[in-house]
Amino acid sequence: MNQTAQRDLRDEEIVALCQQGQREVFEVLVRKYMEKAFRIAFDFTHDTEEAKDLSQEAFLRAFSRIKQFDGRSSFYTWFYRLVVNICLDHTRRKGRVIWERLEKEKEGTAETVELADGSSLPDEEAIAGEAKRRADQTLEAMPNKQRTAFLLRNHQGLSIPDIAKVMKTTEGTVRVYLHRAVAALRQSLMEFV
Amino acid sequence: MKEQSDKLRTACKDFEEDLVLYYYEDGSENERIRVEGHLQTCPSCREFLEDLRKLLPQMAKPSELPAAFWDNYYDEMIQKLAAYKERRAWWKNWFVPMRTWMVPAFGTAVVAALAIGLVIGRGHWHYPFSQTQAQIPQEILSDTNQLEFFKSMDMLETLSSLEGQDGTKVQPGNNQHG
Repeated sequence: MNQTAQRDLRDEEIVALCQQGQREVFEVLVRKYMEKAFRIAFDFTHDTEEAKDLSQEAFLRAFSRIKQFDGRSSFYTWFYRLVVNICLDHTRRKGRVIWERLEKEKEGTAETVELADGSSLPDEEAIAGEAKRRADQTLEAMPNKQRTAFLLRNHQGLSIPDIAKVMKTTEGTVRVYLHRAVAALRQSLMEFV
Repeated sequence: MKEQSDKLRTACKDFEEDLVLYYYEDGSENERIRVEGHLQTCPSCREFLEDLRKLLPQMAKPSELPAAFWDNYYDEMIQKLAAYKERRAWWKNWFVPMRTWMVPAFGTAVVAALAIGLVIGRGHWHYPFSQTQAQIPQEILSDTNQLEFFKSMDMLETLSSLEGQDGTKVQPGNNQHG
């Protein structure tokens, strides 16, 4: 099968081929989902190298477990769950380190903004940077489930039923997580609106 | 801080969650109609929704990464997959030939070992409860002797009761009768 024909295959067909032993077609799924996987990991880690490692680990895990995929959910829901679980494990392990880094960034930002008053850095850029950092801090401070629901909806554009499948919870619970996350973010970012 | 909280416009409590879902276009048709009806009459909820429209897209904006990054990412991923396949193939090559002959060979070996064990061990095995009297401890033997004594006492009691039934037992007062 040539590459163009492979790219036209649906996820389920690719998975079926992988399960039958044609594992080279898995590369099509890598091409298709690498950006999304990386973005999720980056939302959790805020570090390019870590995000790359975690998302690639998710691909390897998906590849090694492809025979266990039973098709009850779509491939991307199944794969997103792998990515999110890997990221959450990483966040739990690295929780303290991330907080320390954010604190350092916060201190660094104060100095940069002070310098910026008399330098060429535009005010708007500084404010946008500060808003971004504040949003990151608020997200870091959120319970994992709230943050996950918010990132999957707001950053990845997953629907609430899909998020419920990824998080193995009910749609009602996802709605509550999402509402709480948005309310917390709005509260912390009001001065930037 | 006070200034910030004064600036914070609150939506109606009953609608706040629905407004978040409305922003994401996730609510049902009925919810959408209900929210739109409320928005026409409630300036606070309109402002709340406006805040969401300003804030949330900014947060989702991904940082741009050059095409070279993605090429590198893909190449690296393909290399990792190849390395994984190779590792797995090594183990597979090691186990696959074993798998074909290991099961019958192992089964035959177990049966042979059992047969040899039975032949060689025949007559040498002792039933754990067939101990000779010499191996029985002295305390237990003395208890056994007492048991014999009690058995003979039981026999005497049985004899006297039989005599009573037959009426043959000689009563002390009947000696004069003869």
